[in-house]
Amino acid sequence: MKNKALIAGLSAVAIVASLAACSGDDGGGSNDAKPTNCTNKIVNADAPVVSVWAWYPNMATVVDNFNNSHDDVQVCWTVAGQGADEYAKLQTAVSAGKGAPDVVMLETDQLVGFEIQKALVDISDLGADDVKDNFAEGSWGDVSQGDAVYAVPIDGGPMAMIYRKDIFEQYNITPPTTWEEYEAAAQTVKDAGGPWFGNLGSNVPAALTALFQQNGAVPFDYDLADPQKISINLDTPEVKQVMDYWAGLTEKGLIGTEDQFTTDYIAGVVGGKYATYVSAAWAPGYLTGAGVGQGDDAGLFAVAPLPQWDVDNPVSVNWGGSALAVTTQANDKELAAEVAVGLYADEPSLTDGWKTQTIFPLNKDVLTSDEFVNNQVEFFGGQTANKDIYIPAADAYEGTNYSPFSVYYYAQLQAQLVKIAAGDVGGSQAATDLQDIIVKYATEQGFTVE
Amino acid sequence: MAITAPHTARKPRHVITYVFLGILVVYFLIPLWFLFVASTKDAPSLFGGDSALWFSGDFNLFTNLSNLVTYNDGIYLRWIGNSALYAFVGGLGATVLAVLAGYGFAKYKFRGRDLSFAILLGSVMVPLTALVIPTFVLFSELGLTDTIWAVILPSLLSPFGVYLMRVYAAEAVPDELLDAARVDGAGALRTFVQVALPLMRPAVVTVLLLSVVGTWNNYFLPLAMLSNSQLYPITVGIGLWQGLAAQNNGGSGVSLWTLIIIGSLISIIPLIVAFLSLQKYWQGGLAIGSLK
Amino acid sequence: MADTATRLVIPKRKQTARERRHSRTGWLFIAPFGVVFVVFLVTPLAYAFYLSLFSKGLATGTAFAGINNYVRAFTDASFLKGVWFVVRFSLVLIPVQMLVSLAAALVLDNLTNRFARFARLMIFLPYAVPAVIGALMWGFLYSPSFGPLEQIFGAFGADAPFLLSPDNIFYGLMNVVTWQWAGYYMIIIYAALRGIDPTIYEAAKIDGANSWQVALRIKIPMVRSALVLILVFALIGTLQFFTEPQVLGPVANGTITPDFTPNIYAFNLAFKYAQFNYASAISFSLGAIVFVGVYIFLFATRKRGSVL
Repeated sequence: MKNKALIAGLSAVAIVASLAACSGDDGGGSNDAKPTNCTNKIVNADAPVVSVWAWYPNMATVVDNFNNSHDDVQVCWTVAGQGADEYAKLQTAVSAGKGAPDVVMLETDQLVGFEIQKALVDISDLGADDVKDNFAEGSWGDVSQGDAVYAVPIDGGPMAMIYRKDIFEQYNITPPTTWEEYEAAAQTVKDAGGPWFGNLGSNVPAALTALFQQNGAVPFDYDLADPQKISINLDTPEVKQVMDYWAGLTEKGLIGTEDQFTTDYIAGVVGGKYATYVSAAWAPGYLTGAGVGQGDDAGLFAVAPLPQWDVDNPVSVNWGGSALAVTTQANDKELAAEVAVGLYADEPSLTDGWKTQTIFPLNKDVLTSDEFVNNQVEFFGGQTANKDIYIPAADAYEGTNYSPFSVYYYAQLQAQLVKIAAGDVGGSQAATDLQDIIVKYATEQGFTVE
Repeated sequence: MAITAPHTARKPRHVITYVFLGILVVYFLIPLWFLFVASTKDAPSLFGGDSALWFSGDFNLFTNLSNLVTYNDGIYLRWIGNSALYAFVGGLGATVLAVLAGYGFAKYKFRGRDLSFAILLGSVMVPLTALVIPTFVLFSELGLTDTIWAVILPSLLSPFGVYLMRVYAAEAVPDELLDAARVDGAGALRTFVQVALPLMRPAVVTVLLLSVVGTWNNYFLPLAMLSNSQLYPITVGIGLWQGLAAQNNGGSGVSLWTLIIIGSLISIIPLIVAFLSLQKYWQGGLAIGSLK
Repeated sequence: MADTATRLVIPKRKQTARERRHSRTGWLFIAPFGVVFVVFLVTPLAYAFYLSLFSKGLATGTAFAGINNYVRAFTDASFLKGVWFVVRFSLVLIPVQMLVSLAAALVLDNLTNRFARFARLMIFLPYAVPAVIGALMWGFLYSPSFGPLEQIFGAFGADAPFLLSPDNIFYGLMNVVTWQWAGYYMIIIYAALRGIDPTIYEAAKIDGANSWQVALRIKIPMVRSALVLILVFALIGTLQFFTEPQVLGPVANGTITPDFTPNIYAFNLAFKYAQFNYASAISFSLGAIVFVGVYIFLFATRKRGSVL
């Protein structure tokens, strides 16, 4: 009967489809990172391959340096996104149990969140302890939990205050050394019809959290050894003081509230819309890459130490910077650890990194080298910014205690900042609200909040 | 009885309708015009404060084009290729399935037919997010995430296509013709291919176009399924560049923003061409689908 | 008088062999689609529902939660805020979109020259643009520094409004969505209009109706089913609002919060906070709301006498 043809036809289609589906071509499962899926070229085709997710602009050079100097392993690198986008992808892969790379670039504030999900490998025995002495205590503390080490630092973000020399000259301002002076200077400039003194975008909650720390606050106290207990201190007087301070500046119209890292913000920086930029050591690279300081505004920037609450007891804080971690989904953890320890750790890569202003390297060999220390940063018109500002800040940095839910916490702090910018809530109230929200979330997640 | 043609003798209203239409055309064209103008600028002109809607001094279209196809070893072309693959395989597959199913619903009576069709209609209301997450988990069990099948297979689903085909087949394919073919001894498949299919052509083209467009424009599904940037379709690829550009990490030399803009421009050309060339088909097809 | 012996009994007629074969062929035609439907829609949905019955804490493991997630969803301020936004948004956006599409379709139905054909195509064109790219373009156009708004308003000496600020985001988004979809709806209405028998118009003209009356009294009622169809699609789509606010978020200075719409909330819950269980519950809750909304709408617009 003719209907047989129909049945046969449909069956054939079904078989072909299921065969095709099961073959899963084109690199199914990024654990076996086939060389065709890499953004870089594999130099030694015989060596086993380790997959890496990283986003720095000069990664191509860094990866090539590594591949050219290693016979026993090759790196297959892709950009899965930058910062938060990559963390979301990693989170998804961790939740699904598949799809994570062998080695991943993470900012230090994200590490605990993945450690608690048992997504990262303790590499202290796999080579990390060997390089411990290359890094300052504060930086090493950020990647460790007790004796366990979960990532190898690449770069950091000691904070300082970039400012416009021309605006300061025009309004007769000397770089403020305390936050009181900062506010007074801001008021002076405003009264004389000048631009905003700075900016607090809602999308930089990590920077603000660092400023909480600078005032002596300890927003989170969490130890992976006791994973269910956490201490949340977001409505302490120290935090409130900082929140009230910035809310006050906003209210008085002394600072802008646009998001940073947008083209509109860069346009503002170029146009002199902000007299200062409270930022980290990677800021000059970011700004230069965006075209700042290359036109009429060339040489107009300088950097001064971050203003303090108590000049006699200065506190250094850190914003950003990243490290390489090994995921538990890695096929060969030893090999992956070798990559994590060795990638971006060789002198050519690090030098390229800081010379292109991409990173502030934490590796002591480079950090203490004459060339780096005495570098006359072009962006600042030749100022020896490393020696005077950033290196002392990095040396004095004591590390931070992060929560296991940084993503959620940052999103909530961001929401509060939006409310502050709109004038809907005051600084102290925002801090209290934030505390309530985070405590509620932590409780829902099964933590015991102290 | 004077039967006047519709478009004569209404002079005073003409002006208003043309003005109204003109405003609409301008409104719908502005962003596309902006895209075209912006594609001819380089980064300093883009962000330098020149008028957004008119050209600046240099005409950089071809420089931008060449940067676009050479950046990162031509990954843009790879992305276009991926979009085309997903859209055509997925779209074609979805159309085949929808045509078969629509014809079946329309021309065959079987137990459970109306219930199945009602379930089908209900499925249109399912929020996409509800599907993507568990589909992702399902695919990771099968090892299919981060492959082309992760995007193509879910794209084969087109409930609206089935609905359109069913409605059209019911109206456009007379039962008498099918009976005649059956009497002549043709089997079901032959009847379908030789008798029914030619009559259903406008709707088939419509469903094909809608499926191809839907898969080409799909963003959320590939965003969740793929982490290998070599497999991204153009939508996710441009999204990736936008994320990088906002933080100024395009690497040396080329400003990612110029690439994003000209990349967007190039990416919409294929679909526009497809629409223009297949106009008469889909306009007819959509008509029948709406007259329930 | 009937006695029991002559009581009429109509046995269920067994299907003839031919009907059975006919029936089976029907299933065979549906089968390929049906397989895909079950595998890629029913199974994930069932799995999502299963997931939504559990909850997982960062510090604890996964535990059965029954309907707790749903209780939590409907008392979750973030979810409710998102729902309120999409409901409000739908109630304003959809009539506006309909008006624009309907007006354009009616106008185009009356004209047959080249300009009309050109206009029809131009209005439909945005549908061929992926929502991601469309939102990107509007993000540029909305930019206070680089968009044309500053220049246009500046010419009049005024300050341009920032269409993505918390006060204006409603209209900023409305504009983007109308731009993206009005053409698609217009084409559907237009095609329906084209299907109307022209002799009806002639009869109306003889009765003395002008074109306004023709449009209102004849055309619109006759394309009613097309209108209902589009309205249902628009409702379903708008209640599930995701792409445009997601893409415009980075340039909106924080206006697009993680819970801006229910779909964005579910997305962030799943892919940022790794709470797949709760995200599934939110998705289903949203689905329930969509279903109720559509049902209410169809009920309100049902034709008299039909069974709904």
